[in-house]
Amino acid sequence: MNIAVLKFPGTTCDKDVQRALKLIDGAEPEIVHSKSKPEVLKEAKGIIIPGGYSFGDYVRPGALAANSEIMDGVIEMAAAGHPILGISNGFQMLTEVGLLPGTLLRNNNCKFICKWVYLRVCEESTLFTDSLAGLIIRIPIAHEYGNFYCSDHTLTALRNAERIPFRYCNSKGDPLMEFNPNGSIDNIAGVFNDKGNILGMMPHPERACRSLLGSIDGLIILENFVRGTQSA
Amino acid sequence: MLTKEELDHAAKILERPPNPTELAMLEVLWSESCSYKSSKRWFHLFNMEGERVVSNALEGEIGLVDIGDELLLGVTIESRNHAANAEPFHGASTGIGEIIRDILSHGCKPVGLMNCLRFGPLVDEHEVYKLKEVVRGLSYYGNSVGIPTIGGDTEFDISFKGRCVVNVACFGVVEADRVMRSTPLTPGHELIIFGAETSRDLTIPGTEKDIQGFVQTGDPLTKKTILDALEIILEERLLEGLQDIGSGGLASAAGRMVSHGNTGIEIHLEKVPISDTSMIPFEIITSRAQERMLCIVSPEKRERVLSVLKEFEIQASVIGHVTEDSNYTAFLNGEIVVKMPLKLLVEGFPVPSRIEIEDTPVDHPIDWVPETLDHRVIIKNLMHLTNLCDREWISSQFDQHILTSTVIDIGDNAGVIELPKGKLLAFSADCNSNWCRLDPWTGTANSAAESLRNLVATGAEPIFIADCLNFGNPERPESYGQYIDAFRGLGQFSSDFEIPIVGGSVSLYNEENIDGEIRRINPTPQIIMGGLFTEGRKPTRRNLVTPWANIFLVGKTHRELNGTDFQELQLGSRKGLPPRYLPGDEQRSMRAVLQAHKAGIIRSCNNIGRGGLAAGLIKMILQSEYGFTITVDDIPGTAKTLPEILYSETPARYLIEVTESNQPQFLGIMDNNDASVVELGLTQQEKIAEFGEFSLNIQEVVKSYRRGLRDLVE
Repeated sequence: MNIAVLKFPGTTCDKDVQRALKLIDGAEPEIVHSKSKPEVLKEAKGIIIPGGYSFGDYVRPGALAANSEIMDGVIEMAAAGHPILGISNGFQMLTEVGLLPGTLLRNNNCKFICKWVYLRVCEESTLFTDSLAGLIIRIPIAHEYGNFYCSDHTLTALRNAERIPFRYCNSKGDPLMEFNPNGSIDNIAGVFNDKGNILGMMPHPERACRSLLGSIDGLIILENFVRGTQSA
Repeated sequence: MLTKEELDHAAKILERPPNPTELAMLEVLWSESCSYKSSKRWFHLFNMEGERVVSNALEGEIGLVDIGDELLLGVTIESRNHAANAEPFHGASTGIGEIIRDILSHGCKPVGLMNCLRFGPLVDEHEVYKLKEVVRGLSYYGNSVGIPTIGGDTEFDISFKGRCVVNVACFGVVEADRVMRSTPLTPGHELIIFGAETSRDLTIPGTEKDIQGFVQTGDPLTKKTILDALEIILEERLLEGLQDIGSGGLASAAGRMVSHGNTGIEIHLEKVPISDTSMIPFEIITSRAQERMLCIVSPEKRERVLSVLKEFEIQASVIGHVTEDSNYTAFLNGEIVVKMPLKLLVEGFPVPSRIEIEDTPVDHPIDWVPETLDHRVIIKNLMHLTNLCDREWISSQFDQHILTSTVIDIGDNAGVIELPKGKLLAFSADCNSNWCRLDPWTGTANSAAESLRNLVATGAEPIFIADCLNFGNPERPESYGQYIDAFRGLGQFSSDFEIPIVGGSVSLYNEENIDGEIRRINPTPQIIMGGLFTEGRKPTRRNLVTPWANIFLVGKTHRELNGTDFQELQLGSRKGLPPRYLPGDEQRSMRAVLQAHKAGIIRSCNNIGRGGLAAGLIKMILQSEYGFTITVDDIPGTAKTLPEILYSETPARYLIEVTESNQPQFLGIMDNNDASVVELGLTQQEKIAEFGEFSLNIQEVVKSYRRGLRDLVE
C-alpha cells in the first residue's frame, strides 16, 4: 500500500476511487477502514478520503467522521507534508477537522444535485493541477452540501495565495453565477491548504477517468496526486 | 381482510379456527401482493421462457437473466403506491430499501435503480408536495447506499391525483455459480435474523385496502453496512439461503424460504430482537420493520457468519432452525403460538372468483383539429407539457454516476451501464397510462413497443421485460376487465417479439370512494425492458452529431391523433382510440435499425413517441450544436395533413442520422428488411429547426422544454 483510501461506515465511493487509482502506474491503493489504528496510515505516502455518507451524514456531513480517532493519523500525515485529497464528503471532513478553510453549506436549491460540470483550473501549476493549468475540464458532481462558504478575509487570502484550483464555469471557461450549481462563494469547487499538499474538492475526479464514461479529466488530477505521493 | 370463504377454508384445513397470530399471518400471505390470488391464473398468457431465462418471478424468485460469460443479471420491480400516498418520503425511500434487499437475497450485487412515477397535475400544490417528497425519498436512500439511478419515467394525469404511483426497480449482477436460490433445505440448519430491530409501529399487514398511514422508515446507513458485510459473507460462501424481510415480515420471509421442499421451520419469537418488550406474537411475526434480513446457515458456519456481522456492528440472532415436518411453527418462551402447514400459508388460499367486464374502446372522429394552426406555437407548447418536457429537475436529484459504470445518463432514449467483463446494458421504462385507459390491450402492447424502441434506438437488443401492474380494485368487474386486458396485451407483445417477461409485481386497489364515486387510477402496466449490446458496439445517443448528414424517418406515419399529447394540448383531454399496435411494422423497423447499428453507420437515432415526429426531431437538437432543415411532403403512411404528419404517435418509427457516404448502405439495409424509409432533410451547422413551411425559434423552444416542470415546482 502506498495510498490509503479511507472508508467510514457509510462511505460509498471507496471502491470507485480504488478502481480509478489502479489505472495509474505506481499506485497501490488500499482501503483502510476508519476503525483501524491511526498508525496504519503511516504505511502510506498519501491519503484519499472518498465521498459518500459517512455515519449517514447524521449531525452534519463529515462531522462525526472528523471526530473519529483515525483523523489523528490524517492530521499527522498532513503535517508531514504528504498529499491528501478529500473528495465530496471527504472535503467536508477536511473542513470539519480544520485542515482546510471554510465550510460546505447546503446547496442553494436545497436539493441533491448530480450533473456534469465544467471547471476552470487556476493558472498556476500546482501539485494537483500539473499540466492542467488554465484549462477547462469536465467532471461530475453529486452532493447536497457543496456550497462552499468562507469569510471575506479567508476568501481574499485564498485568492492571493492561488489556493483556489477549481471554479465552476461554462464550457468556454467563464465562471458565471449561472453555471454555479450549488451557490458556492466565488464559484469555488475546490481549495488547497496553505502548504498546497491538501486538496478538497466537491466534483468527483474518480468518475471522470475513462473515456467510455465521458471524460478522463479526473484521471489527470489523480495521476498528479500519485506523483505527489512518490516525491513526498 | 380475509373473506369468510378464506376463513372457513383455513379452519377446515387446520381442523380448528386459526388463532389471532395465525390469522394475521394468513392475512399477510393471502393478500394480493404476496399471493397474486387475482393474477396467477393469467400468468399463462405471458411468455416467460427463453434461453436466457434462468428464473422468473413466477417461481417465487427475482428474475435472473443470463447475459453471457457466466454472468447473471437479477431484475426486480415493486410498487410503493399505498405507502407513498400515506407518507411520500418514507414510503418511497423504504421502497428502494426493499428492492435492494430482494436483489441481495439472491447473492446479486446491486448495480442500478430505476423509478417510475405517476402524479396528479402539478397545478395542485399537494401533488407538487408529493412529487418533491417522493423524489427526495428515492434520492436520499438510493444515493446514501451508493447505487446509481439509471432511468425511469414520470407521467402526470388527473386520475393519479391523491393516488400517486411509485414503482421502483433494481438490477444486480452475480456470477452464475454464486447465485443464491430457494432450494429444498436441510433439517437442522439454522435461521439467523440480522439488521435492525423488529418494531411495532409497522405491523399493519400488506393488505392494500387497509393501509392507512402506517409506513415504515428506512435507515440507509444500516443498509449500507449490511451491504458491506454481505459482500464478505457471500464471497466466503457461508450461506445456504438468504431472504429479505419485506412486506409480510417474518411470516412471509421464513415461509418463502422453506416452501420449496418438504421441510418446515421452527422459530422462537423471544429470540427476535425487538424494540419494545411488550410486543405480542402477531406483531413480531408480521412486522414490516425495515433493514432486516434472514439467512439460513449450517451449524458449522454459524459462528463465522455471526462474527462477520459483529465486525460490522450488525445485530444478529439465531432464532430457529429448519425442521423435518412441513409446518411453520413458532414458539414464545416454549409455548406454541403458531402451527400451520407451510403449503396452506404460502399457496393454500382458495382461488377467489373474479368477474371481468371487457372494456369496449370507443372511437372518436378526428374532427377536433383546427384548420389553421400556428405550428411554432404548438410545438413550443407541446414541449412544455409535463408529460413531454425536461425531467432534469427530477433526475439531477439522483446520483447517476456512483459505481463509475454509467455510460449514458438519464434523459436519453435509454440509460446504459457497463457491467463486469465489459458488458453494456441498456434499460428503458415506459407506460402511457392514457393509452391504457382508452384501450387497455392496445395501450399496454404499445407501451411495451415504446420501451422496445427506446432500447433499439441506442443500439441494444432487447432481452427481457419486467412489469409492475398498477390497477384498481379487482373485485370490481370493470376494473378487473382493464387488468386482464393489460395481461393479454403484454402477453401478446411478449410472444410477438419473443422477449421473456422475467420479473413483475402487482399493485391493486389503487382507487378511492369519494362521496359515492369511484375514482380509479388509469390502468398503469409499467414496463421495464433491458437490452444488451453486441460486443464491441458502443451505444448511440439521440443528439445530432454531424453537420450536413442526412436525416431519415423509418416507419409509416398514420392518421393517429387521438390519445396523443397533441390532442391533450388542443382539447385538455384525450378520447378515441389510441394509436394501433403494429407488431409487423415494429419488427421490420427494429430489425432494420439494429442491423444498421451493427454496421456502425448510425450517427444518432431517436425513437418517435410522445409528441410525434415534431417532438422527436426537437429532442435530437436539444443537446446538440447542430440543427436541421427538413421537408415533410412525402411521408409513407396514411397521414396527409401537416398536423397528422407532425403529431401522430404511430408506433414503429425512428429518426436516424446517417452521413452522405453511408447512405447507399443504409438504404440497402432498410430495403432488405422491408422497412419503410424516407429522407426528411439535412442536419445543419447552425442550431436551427427549419420545417419547410415554417421555422422555429429554437432558443424559445429549448427554454420551453427546460421550464416545463420547473415552472410548476419551483
